[in-house]
Amino acid sequence: MTAQMKLGAFLWATGHHIAAWRHPKAHVTAGIDIDHYIQLARTAEAAKFDMIFCEDAAGLREANVGIASQTSRSIGFEPISLLSALAVQTSRIGLVSTASTSYNEPYGLARTFLSLDHLSGGRAGWNLVTSASPIEAANFGSTGLKPHADRYERAREFAEVVTGLWHGKASGHDGQSFSVRDPLDLPRSPQGAPVMVQAGASDVGRDLAARTADVVFTAAQTFEEAKAFYDDLKGRMAAYGREPDDIKIMPGVSPVVAETEAEAREKHEELQELIPDDVGVALLSSYLSISDLWRYPIDGPLPDLPDSEGMKSRQALVVEQSRRDGLSIRQLARHFAGARGHWRIVGTAAQVADELQARFEGGAADGYNVMPSWFPGELDVFATLVVPELQRRGLFRKEYDGNTLREHLGLKRPA
Amino acid sequence: MHLAISLNIAAAKGQAVLDFGEIKTFVRAAEAAGIDMVVISDSVEGLSCSPFEATTLLAALATVTDKIGFVASASTVAHQPYNLARRFASLDIISHGRSGWHATMVQGSREAANFSRPEGFSDADFRRRAEEYIGIVQGLWQGWDADALLFDKTGGRFHDPEKMDLLDHRGEFFSVRGPLNVARSPQDTPVLVLSGLSEPDLDIAARTADVILLESGSAERAKIRFDELKRRATAAGRDPDAVKVLTNISFAPDDGAAATADKLETQLRAKSCDGFNIRLPAQHSALDDFADRVLPELRQSGLVREGYRGTTLRAHLGLAGGGDR
Repeated sequence: MTAQMKLGAFLWATGHHIAAWRHPKAHVTAGIDIDHYIQLARTAEAAKFDMIFCEDAAGLREANVGIASQTSRSIGFEPISLLSALAVQTSRIGLVSTASTSYNEPYGLARTFLSLDHLSGGRAGWNLVTSASPIEAANFGSTGLKPHADRYERAREFAEVVTGLWHGKASGHDGQSFSVRDPLDLPRSPQGAPVMVQAGASDVGRDLAARTADVVFTAAQTFEEAKAFYDDLKGRMAAYGREPDDIKIMPGVSPVVAETEAEAREKHEELQELIPDDVGVALLSSYLSISDLWRYPIDGPLPDLPDSEGMKSRQALVVEQSRRDGLSIRQLARHFAGARGHWRIVGTAAQVADELQARFEGGAADGYNVMPSWFPGELDVFATLVVPELQRRGLFRKEYDGNTLREHLGLKRPA
Repeated sequence: MHLAISLNIAAAKGQAVLDFGEIKTFVRAAEAAGIDMVVISDSVEGLSCSPFEATTLLAALATVTDKIGFVASASTVAHQPYNLARRFASLDIISHGRSGWHATMVQGSREAANFSRPEGFSDADFRRRAEEYIGIVQGLWQGWDADALLFDKTGGRFHDPEKMDLLDHRGEFFSVRGPLNVARSPQDTPVLVLSGLSEPDLDIAARTADVILLESGSAERAKIRFDELKRRATAAGRDPDAVKVLTNISFAPDDGAAATADKLETQLRAKSCDGFNIRLPAQHSALDDFADRVLPELRQSGLVREGYRGTTLRAHLGLAGGGDR
């Protein structure tokens, strides 16, 4: 049997496109409707996705309330409660939630995810983030966002404590940021330990992933970027005594799929036109971690940017693309609003499958985190058109072989 | 009478662990009997072999029931107030307005030791911190007006920016800007349940709590505490009926169903409480016994109403904000 790719269904509010909620058929009340999420989870499970993936931020996405009010992202479910509800409404699909190492304690986080793991019979995973947003920081004290290096040092210690607790390590921990006296008071995970997911792509983030992650979620526009990241990360693992196959690298992909290429392009343009300029520019600003992008002419080029404590790696990606394609701020804003810096493919199921297959077989990805532009429509389309195409090519499972997320992903069970 | 069942899923060491299916069966039996709410204890406080943390269990149980309320215990030491407010706001939307937060005013040593606070807090600090914490959580729960969400696709207005309020809290222990990134609760705000009160906590409870759980004592003492709490609620500018006082009563299978039902009726008629929080051990037999023998007895005496009048926990408890009471 040929190797098969892993697929995540990245669920997010009304959709990954910033204007998704305005699509005539988008489920606009997604952020207050649990039944909507149960339906999406069942769609993803019927399509045999490895997992559902939820991002998270403990605060608003956008400081400017006028701009925030034109998006659907200011309200939604808290993901651990959401996935706990989905755990008993599904039976096979993995359930991965993001949670921050900056605003949690490792004992509580380890315990909560282990509980989700028990509720789901071994299908839970934790996506570690260090939280780069000053909006979140303001909800957790008055001292402001911590420097990048400090956040990652805390994250490293946090991850060490969490995995120690999951693996039943008996002795306590007394470190720089955390102290923990007791082992967890819950039984051992049905899959050995919940799956550890990471997304940080900076140098220090890659080292942390190489040391501790089971899955890495990443953003890459081109094959070359994806391949370079893949090789770099897998190359770092030997230093920590790990095999390259111990980590599954799953770049984000935002496909727009239709029966014909022309139809797919038309669908994509329809959504793009629903983006107000000020919203697109604000979204781009937040990814670049600068607040005054609106001061520059919208049809002019991106200005030179100062160093920031925010998302270093993603900033570089945006700047590189802008320079490479000679894009104006407006063009770049619209381009990024659609897929948030992730890879976008617009075309037929066969064209999308070709692209996914090329990066998978070219050694640039172990699978993909699929980011539908709006819900439920684009998830349904991916499930009914692209998944069967991948299955026909032998690139994706037709049935689940195992019961736990580790089994789906082909990960070793920790000792 | 208002009736809560406290489900101690934190079984003693060596006992069989309850699986989700068993807990589901039990809460459905409680729902069929018209119980107002199930209080899910959390095991950080005591050794256990329960496989579930309370808020995750609440979310799961909410999806397999329609009417009964759920209150999960969560510690002010184990969570940041923004995260806790958010978790419960989300649970309340998942459960369509049937959720509550149970906070205790007693500091747990196990939590301090495992949440990077090895020295813990002094009693006075713990109390002031808890009071500030509760104020933040209740403030965050009110950050979005009930009609803030517009969902106006063609006009491009998802919400009304005038109907979202920042908290901008700066206090002795916490600084929280807000607002919460979860919509307003279907029952206005999740229900706040407080327990573990000592004398200096009574004003805090009378001012903020929707439900107060008190340990059982002598009939006279219970009556005095009940009247005192209602008096303080009135002094704080609240309707005394906006605070429900429930007495904790333990039930073990060999207590006898009829005797238990009699005990509850006597205390209620003495007007020393608004109802009871029945504590059950996590033994399958105790769960079955209570559901099969005690609940029908209470229902027959007309002490527990038949079915539910509303759909939210506030409605079950006769609290303001319940909407469809």
